Amino acid sequence: MATAPRAFDPVLLELLWTRLASSVDEAAAALLRTSFSTIVRESHDFACVLADAQGRSLVQATDGVPSFLCTVPRTMRHFLDEYPAETLAPGDVLLTNDIWMGTGHLPDITVARPVFRQGRLVAFAGSAAHAPDIGGRIRTAESREVFEEGLQIPPLKAVRAGVLDDTFARMLRKNTRVPDQVMGDLFAQFTALELMERRLLALMDEYGLDDLEALALEIQSRSERAMRAAIREVPDGTYRGEVLTDGLAQPIRLVLALHKRGDGIVADYTGTDAQVPRGINVCLSYTFAYTAFALKAALCPEVPNNEGAFRPVTVEAPRGCILNSTPPAAGANRALTGHFLPPLILSALAQAIPERVIAGVGSPLWSLNFAGQRADGSTTANHFFMNGGYGASALRDGPNVLSWPSNVSAAPVEMIEQHNPFRVRHRRLRVGTGGRGRHRGGTGQEWLFENRAAGPVAVTFMAERTRIEAAAPGLAGGEAGTPGAVLVNGVAVDPKRQHILEPGDTVELRTPGGGGFGPPAERDPAAIAADIEDGFVA
Amino acid sequence: MSAPHLALAVDIGGTFTDVVVLDQRTGRFHAHKELTTPDNPARGVVTGIARLFAREALACADVGRIVHATTLFTNALIERRGARTGLITTAGFRDTLEIGHERKYELYDLHLPLPEPLVRRSLREEASERIGPDGGIEQPLDAGSLRAAAARLVDKGVESLAVVFLHAYANPAHEQAAGRILAEAHPGLPVSLSSEVAPQIREYDRTSTTVANAYIKPLADAYLGRLSTDLRELGLRAPLFMMLSNGGLTHLEEAQRVPVQLLESGPAAGALAAAVFGARSGLRDLLAFDMGGTTAKLCVVQGGEPLVAHRFEAGRERRFTRGSGLPLAISTVELIEIGAGGGSIARLDALGLLKVGPRSAGSEPGPACYARGGTAPTVTDGNLLLGLLDAEGFAGGTMRLDAGLAERAVGEVATEGGLATAEAASGIHAVVNETMAAAARVHVAEHGRDARDFALLVTGGGGPLHGCEVARRLGIRRVVCPPAAGVASALGLLLAPARVDRVATLARTLDQLPPEALEAAFQRLEEEAGAVVAATLGPDVPREVRRGADMRFAGQGYEIVAALPPGPYGAASLAPLRDAFLAAYDAIFTRRPPVQGIEFVNIRVSVSAKPPGSSLEPGLAAAPTPVGQRGLRIEGKLVPVPVHARAGLVAGARLQGPALVEDGMSTLVLPPGAVASVEANGNLVVTLPGPRQAADTPLMEHAP
Repeated sequence: MATAPRAFDPVLLELLWTRLASSVDEAAAALLRTSFSTIVRESHDFACVLADAQGRSLVQATDGVPSFLCTVPRTMRHFLDEYPAETLAPGDVLLTNDIWMGTGHLPDITVARPVFRQGRLVAFAGSAAHAPDIGGRIRTAESREVFEEGLQIPPLKAVRAGVLDDTFARMLRKNTRVPDQVMGDLFAQFTALELMERRLLALMDEYGLDDLEALALEIQSRSERAMRAAIREVPDGTYRGEVLTDGLAQPIRLVLALHKRGDGIVADYTGTDAQVPRGINVCLSYTFAYTAFALKAALCPEVPNNEGAFRPVTVEAPRGCILNSTPPAAGANRALTGHFLPPLILSALAQAIPERVIAGVGSPLWSLNFAGQRADGSTTANHFFMNGGYGASALRDGPNVLSWPSNVSAAPVEMIEQHNPFRVRHRRLRVGTGGRGRHRGGTGQEWLFENRAAGPVAVTFMAERTRIEAAAPGLAGGEAGTPGAVLVNGVAVDPKRQHILEPGDTVELRTPGGGGFGPPAERDPAAIAADIEDGFVA
Repeated sequence: MSAPHLALAVDIGGTFTDVVVLDQRTGRFHAHKELTTPDNPARGVVTGIARLFAREALACADVGRIVHATTLFTNALIERRGARTGLITTAGFRDTLEIGHERKYELYDLHLPLPEPLVRRSLREEASERIGPDGGIEQPLDAGSLRAAAARLVDKGVESLAVVFLHAYANPAHEQAAGRILAEAHPGLPVSLSSEVAPQIREYDRTSTTVANAYIKPLADAYLGRLSTDLRELGLRAPLFMMLSNGGLTHLEEAQRVPVQLLESGPAAGALAAAVFGARSGLRDLLAFDMGGTTAKLCVVQGGEPLVAHRFEAGRERRFTRGSGLPLAISTVELIEIGAGGGSIARLDALGLLKVGPRSAGSEPGPACYARGGTAPTVTDGNLLLGLLDAEGFAGGTMRLDAGLAERAVGEVATEGGLATAEAASGIHAVVNETMAAAARVHVAEHGRDARDFALLVTGGGGPLHGCEVARRLGIRRVVCPPAAGVASALGLLLAPARVDRVATLARTLDQLPPEALEAAFQRLEEEAGAVVAATLGPDVPREVRRGADMRFAGQGYEIVAALPPGPYGAASLAPLRDAFLAAYDAIFTRRPPVQGIEFVNIRVSVSAKPPGSSLEPGLAAAPTPVGQRGLRIEGKLVPVPVHARAGLVAGARLQGPALVEDGMSTLVLPPGAVASVEANGNLVVTLPGPRQAADTPLMEHAP
């Protein structure tokens, strides 16, 4: 019997939506608690998404990492291209890490489980999570092609009616340095998908829903209307921005024209430099994710994340530019380019709504990545994340050391030392690195690691804004933050290259400060006195 | 003179100080509410006790023990009224406290405020020393650097000191040495050591906890000292016990040693009372649901005991947002707070959805129907329009509700949303219920349980009003409404066991741990905890010892708390220990990962003992009072619904829903099909009908 058309009044829709959101939150909690790798468990580098039968997202947790914004539903649609609905069965799980279909680098594994009700495909439960290792060269920017960056998994049915494909599992295990962690995290993702499915089916039972079509339409169109209303408040115009990143031998230029007309926004990156034979290229899905994230944060942060909220946003980037890479471009360290997008968007919006944005942030996310051998000869590898200072705004100083736009926390020093062959000699604020201004930019931090392994370990970095021209810019007369630096045994090195640490060698990572807001001469004398007392400025 | 047979409980809340005295010979109790006196909280306590004892003609000499809970220390943290505190860390790590987790608690808010560290940078110093992750000393403590650091802080007027060295959970030797050196150099200066306050791995959380302890320590010392003096002057010679956040009692010295353990003592007492009331009806798995004017609190009671968590957040920047506060690694009765209460405001959001809360009209100006100037539509306004409240007899008849004002306020949001006023009123009721149910569902799921396996125990002004409907949304069939819900927390104090929890970090896998080493580690904790319990209730009271551990598959980053079999452990214990972990893991997660190694991160011991004489008499009236009647529209039909007075119900009585039961402070709503029975212990136990087909059909509609 077909469902009678339902009207969604403000009450019924709120009840259903609340329930959907809580099922995604439950799944995220389960994924977090069952995961293995530091990267998921301490750094929250994952997302859970519930989408309709066409792979259009309905609910995604609001506090997920932005790199997964909109990517999971896109990947679901690629799954559907390869595995149309009639080829799917209850208990199947589809999986890929293809960088152009997924999130732009190989470690992110996206999975989706079709949800059936009375024999009909009604939804997809999806998840993306950063695997602790995917083979290939360890997180270096030096790869010239994606083939060097690890195992590429095309869309495939990893689980058939509840049974994990053994061939796939063995292939995957063989191709990673830490197979137990990788498989453990994958199981955590499967657990989350099952939970979303159970909760969704219970909700459909309770409310007598045969499918989600009408509900999806309602959720998506209301979100779209709210987003469009927020966009309409920004004055029409074209706002331009440009930023230099550290790049390689030469800085890389990202160019933006933000066309705001009526209730839509086009972010056009024409003029941006071409892709490079290094692992810092960005796939279009990632460019879209960070563009949409910045627009939403500045204009209407409270609108829930779903397909509808992003319909008013169009992203254009010429094929083959570094923001829309084409195969076989490498992209393992895409964040080193992509994390410049939110500040770039905000700098353009600052021309229209300066009081609602922030100055440059000491992002992108930094990391130390290492691989070495334990005393027993077994392989060990890990990443340790760290962040720079946050940008100041019209409201306040930029907080010291705050993750943005990635929202990835650093692992505790005590946990790092328990499980890895390092001593952390210090981890402290890097005073004096926040840009001066009426409001001061947040300071960066510095970590000094000493190799305590019996033999050499190979280290690579994610590190950006180490050139003076790439420093986090100030806003409205505020000064730029101090650039970052990487030092091996006290000597500054090229952070884009791999380095070998012998036992006893040290490496220090100094993250950049955030930009200031407003002219420094306008700073409140009491704030200056407090800065001096606390040693933030000399 | 008879042996001391009275037990006295004092619970200081934000508005009222509740005083309850229990006659342990008869099980009868007497209660009194005194206004809290924030400038000197001991004054309200003393006045309240004096009034109650005079009213009931009781003698102070007959009191055998006094139990106390208070929210004073939590408030001091929230309002930043603690001591000027200094911090000394391992060289290289003085900024750990300020760097924190580096995460934003709301990613999309570009301008979010972060909690200021309790100790500013100029009051954070370093000492040279280093202990390795295995507890080995890698660099000895440089006493000179420590003394110099402390001297600089004392010169800057520091009144309390925290010491946090890296890996002190693995080896406290350097912190202990620092404690001795500082006591010598600065006698009388309170010093909090991380290895005593929170001996657990993860340096930021441990630092945050130790600093919070140091911050409230002078305040706690002064207040508790003053209170015991005042009580003695009143003629009360009995020992004073404090309720800890974990729902256990301890003696004064232990409370003063680590006062950060007292932060949640008030809510812990409430949860404990719920567990006790539930147990009296034979219900040991409960969701304790307390709904007041601004918030609702929910606590899972399992096997007759409130669940205890080992993390807590204090002083949140945004009250209902996780991660916006200061993390504290303490044992605390695990409560969630939901932004849903009688004063919660209904509005249409930017998407045209009806949202209720977390913004609240509070008690001033309060809901529109209070006629104190509030114009926003609230949950209470909706409830009044639905006929659920008695406009004349609200809050024990102290307040008259104005239905016209409620109608106008709710009417505005109704018009905006294209609804009839009655639809909006039932919509507000439904949405606030779903909000609370959704929070409960996620919370219960985080423990790997299903809400349907629990009964709901309702307290607070709003608990009985909304309880049956929240229960239905959770698939719960049984709802318990206890007597004397207004002073439940204070009653809980009298029924609480003495309980001391101890923790130690091992960070070793099962196969790296010789069973005898594990046994020795547990025994150390048990001796420590047992000594405190013995000092609280005397050496002869039978003690219950429980072992547990925070465990994980080797390589996982989050631990689960597993209950472990009792000791002593030997070679044969490995399999049962492994099984205990696997059982706990399976209970939470549907899949086991393909990993063999099992790691003990922290081991935990809980030693408890029940105080003597803790039974209650319900004190039911003998004769039923006449019932009134109110009109409710239920599923489109006007139904005259009987109104019962709670005080008039006799044991054994059965009520058929739809019906209302009023008791001065609250109204229990029995939906159609529900059956309530009055038990001899004073509880009203409601059995709800089976699952409904169309969940969105409003249960109650407006009575014209």
